[in-house]
Amino acid sequence: MLTSRVISPSFLPLPPTASTSSSSFSSLRTILSPFLAKTQLSYTRTSRMASSLTARAAANKLENADELIDSVETFIFDCDGVIWKGDKLIEGVPETLDMLRSKGKRLVFVTNNSTKSRKQYGKKFETLGLSVNEEEIFASSFAAAAYLQSIDFPKDKKVYVIGEDGILKELELAGFQYLGGPTDGDKKIELKPGFLMEHDHNVGAVVVGFDRYFNYYKVQYGTLCIRENPGCLFIATNRDAVTHLTDAQEWAGGGSMVGAIRGSTQKEPLVVGKPSTFMMDYLSNKFGISKSQICMVGDRLDTDILFGQNGGCKTLLVLSGVTSLETLQSPDNSIQPDFYTSKIADFLSLKAATV
Amino acid sequence: MANGGREALTPQAARSLVDSVDVFIFDCDGVIWKGDKLIEGVSEALHTLRSLGKKFVFLTNNSRKSRKQYAKKFSKLGMEINEDEIFTSSFAAAMYLKLNNFPTDKKVYVVGEEGIKEELNLVGYESIGGPEDGKKSIQLESSFFFDHDKSVGAVVVGLDQHFNYYKLQYANLCIRENPGCLFIATNRDSTGNLTSLQEWPGAGCMVSAVSCSVQKEPVVVGKPSTFLMDFLLERFRIDVSRMCMVGDRLDTDILFGHNAGCKTLLVLSGVTTLPALLDPSNSIHPDSYANDMSHFVQLLSQ
Repeated sequence: MLTSRVISPSFLPLPPTASTSSSSFSSLRTILSPFLAKTQLSYTRTSRMASSLTARAAANKLENADELIDSVETFIFDCDGVIWKGDKLIEGVPETLDMLRSKGKRLVFVTNNSTKSRKQYGKKFETLGLSVNEEEIFASSFAAAAYLQSIDFPKDKKVYVIGEDGILKELELAGFQYLGGPTDGDKKIELKPGFLMEHDHNVGAVVVGFDRYFNYYKVQYGTLCIRENPGCLFIATNRDAVTHLTDAQEWAGGGSMVGAIRGSTQKEPLVVGKPSTFMMDYLSNKFGISKSQICMVGDRLDTDILFGQNGGCKTLLVLSGVTSLETLQSPDNSIQPDFYTSKIADFLSLKAATV
Repeated sequence: MANGGREALTPQAARSLVDSVDVFIFDCDGVIWKGDKLIEGVSEALHTLRSLGKKFVFLTNNSRKSRKQYAKKFSKLGMEINEDEIFTSSFAAAMYLKLNNFPTDKKVYVVGEEGIKEELNLVGYESIGGPEDGKKSIQLESSFFFDHDKSVGAVVVGLDQHFNYYKLQYANLCIRENPGCLFIATNRDSTGNLTSLQEWPGAGCMVSAVSCSVQKEPVVVGKPSTFLMDFLLERFRIDVSRMCMVGDRLDTDILFGHNAGCKTLLVLSGVTTLPALLDPSNSIHPDSYANDMSHFVQLLSQ
């Protein structure tokens, strides 16, 4: 008779995944070898690079906003939790952005949210009463297309998309052929005898991002492409665990869809969104700015702040999004931004205090 | 055993294996069948082993069916196997909860199929989710609030062909917000021979999706966890070294054998190819390997 006993988790080992990932890494290196510079290597790693290299001092509460503003030329803002929450603008944002522009600062908006294209985000900014140019917006959907352009991904190859409209639009703008996207969300499979799922052997890359129409069909399609099409790339727009799709609660993020494909292929993706520095490198090249002239402003430590640190620029954490002061100051947290403040509108009030 | 896993099973080694083992533990997908098709020569091979006085059990990570439903599948394929000779990861999940005194007034949210629900119900637990939630979708208007049952005390995740965002989010909220909510994975196989013609994503895919959103690792009850070995030892009351695990996957079947301390035989009729076994990056080596069950048994008389 089996007796009741607590079976502790340590008794139940997890299967290793290390054995297959090293060989996939080496095949990725071969593909990327044309420009294996130090920065590009960081796209294949998602672990904490910069923060583990130097022990950072605890973040300082922002007191002198002027000093920070004067020390940089460009501000990169995350969107969810910094500019807006769901469809609501955060207090004081329009005035803050206007002030920074009046001081001649360049403003850039970098979001890991891949559901919209830059054009669609431009419309969102407009609806919220903010004057932001499409050219100032960099979503991870854009990053995926820009990455494929940067490696001269052949135009006669296709891209399979596990993700939403934003990715499709950006791929189209960049001149790439794609398959998948939201319409594959209606496709069902039945695991019946004799059933064989075919896949397009011309797919040369699978791009995975947040996908509310995620299903088994897409997982199998993406998996077949990655496993069976020689040299097929596995690209992730981002790996956020949760995301604020509505202002009322957190939702499972793009990291889940990417996790699912990692689970079935046992391969690591190339990440183009934060904290990978791909978008930082792209911006600094495009605008001709040096990293020391940039301040990254975000609400999430393991994407926004790590992105800024990996990129070598200043970092400011705002507490208007997913991170609380408690989390920042917790002994479990090893990511320390240069500064923290409650919201970006503090740039205005802190300024006033120093007059 | 320096070259253990790199040696194909020889006739002598096959005889020696059979002499030293009383109980064979067989994986199912890729060993006994592929999808709904029996692998050639399996019936005869099992018959031979039974005539040599060997006992067997079937240990599968596939949680889509319950033990009862698997017995039906065996029967349809012409083999009379009793449901208590079958151990599934769906059964393992239910037993894990029972042995850890999971309260019956709490619910279990299932990201998986009928097999899990049935096994949970058999031990008296109420489960929600499962296949019906495969039809639900979410609307992301700003006013939409995704509600979840606060009495869910455990989320069990297994292979789910009806996996979707609704279930992922439901599991995410339960694990993050219900105090003490358990996160249990039936198994983490990356793929499996779910139909006879090709491999399909396994539970590893659904489990990774949930694990990535909740940022926690689950308790895994199926292979390579040795949780089910306790049940086998209870049943046969023999030394674990007198058992042999026969499977097609290195990081579940063979690792299970290593963890549990029994002998291991890899068959190449499923997900593992010979090149994959012999690749220098592979660190999991079975005691020996054969092409399939039929080949293993043929070696006995050579």
